[in-house]
Amino acid sequence: MKKYVIIYLFIFFPFGSYGQITKLPEIIMNIAEELAADDNDPEAVAIYIERLYDLAENPVNVNSADENEVSRLFFLSDFQIKVLTDYVHSSGKIISVFELANLPGFDKETAEMMIRFISLDAKMKLNQDSVRLRSASLTNISIKPGNSDSTSLGSAWKILSKYKFTAGRLSGGFTIEKDPGEKFLTGKSPQPDFLSFNLAFRGSGTMRKFIVGDYSARFGQGTNINTGIRSGLSLTSPGYMSSKDEIKPYTSTDENNFFRGVAAEFDFRNLGLSLFYSNNYSDATLVSSGYSENYIENFYKAGIHSTSSQLLKKDAISDITCGLNLSYNFNNLRIGLTWSEDKFSLPVYSVENDPENIFDFKGYRNNLYSVYYNSFIKRILLYGEFSTNEYRKYSFVQGLSFRPSDRLTINFLFRDYSAGYMSFHGKGPGSSSSTSNEQGILANFTFEAAKHLFISGGCDNQYFPWLKYRCSIPSWGRKKELRVKFLPTDNLTIDASYSYSYSMVDSSQNRGIPQQKQVVTRSIKGTVRYALYDNLILGTRVDYKVAGPAVSKGTLLLQDINYRFRYIPVTLWFRYCLFSTDDWDSRIYTYENDLLYSFSVPALSGEGTRTYLMAKWEIKDIAELRVKYSTTSLIKGNSNSADTDEIKIQFRVIF
Amino acid sequence: MSSLRKLSVSAFLVFLSLTSSGGDHYRLKAGAGEAGVGYVCVMKNGFWSSFHNQATLAQNNSLSLGLNYENRFGLKELGTRTAGIRIPAGNASLGVVYSHFGYTDYRREMTGLACGLKLSDIISAGVQVDYYSEKTTDEYADNHSVTCEAGLLILPSENIRVGIHIFNPVPNSLRKLYMPSTLRIGAATNLNNSLFTGIEAEMSSGSKLIIRTGFEYEVMKRLWLRGGFGTNNNSFSFGLGYLTKIVQTDISFSTHEKLGVTSSVSFIFKIH
Repeated sequence: MKKYVIIYLFIFFPFGSYGQITKLPEIIMNIAEELAADDNDPEAVAIYIERLYDLAENPVNVNSADENEVSRLFFLSDFQIKVLTDYVHSSGKIISVFELANLPGFDKETAEMMIRFISLDAKMKLNQDSVRLRSASLTNISIKPGNSDSTSLGSAWKILSKYKFTAGRLSGGFTIEKDPGEKFLTGKSPQPDFLSFNLAFRGSGTMRKFIVGDYSARFGQGTNINTGIRSGLSLTSPGYMSSKDEIKPYTSTDENNFFRGVAAEFDFRNLGLSLFYSNNYSDATLVSSGYSENYIENFYKAGIHSTSSQLLKKDAISDITCGLNLSYNFNNLRIGLTWSEDKFSLPVYSVENDPENIFDFKGYRNNLYSVYYNSFIKRILLYGEFSTNEYRKYSFVQGLSFRPSDRLTINFLFRDYSAGYMSFHGKGPGSSSSTSNEQGILANFTFEAAKHLFISGGCDNQYFPWLKYRCSIPSWGRKKELRVKFLPTDNLTIDASYSYSYSMVDSSQNRGIPQQKQVVTRSIKGTVRYALYDNLILGTRVDYKVAGPAVSKGTLLLQDINYRFRYIPVTLWFRYCLFSTDDWDSRIYTYENDLLYSFSVPALSGEGTRTYLMAKWEIKDIAELRVKYSTTSLIKGNSNSADTDEIKIQFRVIF
Repeated sequence: MSSLRKLSVSAFLVFLSLTSSGGDHYRLKAGAGEAGVGYVCVMKNGFWSSFHNQATLAQNNSLSLGLNYENRFGLKELGTRTAGIRIPAGNASLGVVYSHFGYTDYRREMTGLACGLKLSDIISAGVQVDYYSEKTTDEYADNHSVTCEAGLLILPSENIRVGIHIFNPVPNSLRKLYMPSTLRIGAATNLNNSLFTGIEAEMSSGSKLIIRTGFEYEVMKRLWLRGGFGTNNNSFSFGLGYLTKIVQTDISFSTHEKLGVTSSVSFIFKIH
């Protein structure tokens, strides 16, 4: 009973907080929506948003001229990181953020995006050495009134609690989460449904980093090890292609995508060495095969344990992962080697004799070997990675980033993942969730066509040489996007984009080999954001989408109002949104402001309205309270409507 | 006889939703001048515009009275009679509007009380409380409903006007009868002293997005020529307006691609 009380106290009476968090620029909303629309990577938005909040909490000291430090700005390309550090080395410290916009490879848009996440304070580095305990904790509670499911084991509340401390070079924290419908405490020795913790040391000498507990890792292009954001290129966004090697404490809530154990990062002048060992439990569906032992039918990634059958899948197997990464820096060339091994407590076998699964991984153990590089040659950045397993199945990535002029960037990315290649903790650039069974080439450009006018566009051609989910023949896919952004004044942004996607899926027929139908989606989006005063921002957005073989249509019109009171520390966000879509295929994603370290990108389909009001109350420098009320009203035939409400509350305190 | 009445009321309700301007049929649409520009008026100054976006009430400082009649598709049963009054009060203006639509077997009345307030040189805001009453014959139940609407008018520069208006933002779970919500957003500019042009997007719950565009051109002093186009039913509008000493008279016609022409006339009396 006593330990329940202690846990309860941690959750409902948090005792720490970080400082002021600035608002996210709208480019981040665009990227978040793009990531959310990618059904293959549902956790990407969560990781992305969390990393942005981390950056806002601990801004990057760009004047440090340290590539490791600057590359914490993960949305910058390797090219931009190199330019920034070289500039500080050669020209001295950056005095104003506006200086950034004039650097080769940067523009006003990128500089504005960086403003929230950088510091120009030269003393910042020294502060890291001083031992001063900073604790932070936040607690979220989400309630959906009237939304109870009798089959659920627990309450309909969602509870999330995070605690983090920093004391000089030492940091640590824990995360507790309970999803709607889950029991708060589960297992033989009751503990929260999801409990994650870490303790990390950040050194300045040979040992750069040492982590005990939960951590994430990424090396090279991520085809071997990458439990963070997928590296690679967006069709029109300038960023998130950095391929920085890193291990970092894990603070997210994806219950099946992190390591638990020990990791260390060493630096011997130009030689870098990372070692990691993890013994974690994963969710899986097990099947008893009678005479022989159980085997793993599939891995359960949803992380929801609200019913008895889902609870049976929780932590069903143990997964031991170990590996090392070696990298060496030459002048303009970095090369790296990565080895990793996964060992499961039970063997993995295919679900059934489905041709789609012929190349799937089978057995206990998976070894992967990778070699990667990146190199700068004047205005060209080249990067690539080759990985293979014991069965000689491989993955290959080759990219090129080229800046023929300060106003033009051109990128190419080629990838070839053979059907039998499998990485359980990897995530290479590409369109599918697994780094497997895909070939493709992506090209994009960003062009500053005139003062304050930016045009960007891209095309990604994909080929899937073997069968895949919902497609019984080798198939093709294509995505194209064109975006025009105009920033005529500091307080006005006009953004318009057109996107196109093509894919093939099985038609629904019961007998024989299904025929394929072509699914084409086209959408047009226009956004205007206007800062009337420094404390009042208005945003308007119009969307039009045509999707699928049924040529279903979707439209959306929304209005945002963001107001910060001058004399009381309260900020309000209000959105009123009307949408109308013919079916699920023409659904429209809209990013919403949400609680700190949380995100909301609802997929709106059907006909109705979506409204939310969020208030933030900063109680001096010691606490912050956020409350969000949102409601979705869907018309259900004959002029009736069904409303779904949600209330979210977040509380943070400093001590 | 009763079933005949049912049929006529049902047919009437179908027609009710087929407005030439589209959108939500609960929302008041009045003013022949506004109809002439295709109802691109969420940001436009004008007597009736004040009831399309109450924020524009604050931009007018004269005591005025208006009468309007609209007839859809030449059917007298589809006629709307509207009356309104605007009362200036310092930085604010008040407005009262009454609208009657229908005939003996079905009628819908709306009464609205509005207030617009100039918050600064570049921003005005307004709200309106509406009372709706629907009366039908025989066993059809009478309905009564209260809702509200609100708007903002923004003048980012001398020549640009932006209007935002929300009708019925009240969640339907809080009312007995379903009533659609509407969001209108528009921008307009005066290309020169005599030419006003604007564009507006409107969406109602349960309906598709409508884009409208329109213009008003002062052909000669006190005489205006108006035109507009809306994407719903590919509706074209045009109209004329003339101002005498105290009375402004407007007429307009708008087309529906299948059902014909909707005509309106309005008189606005400037009292003080």
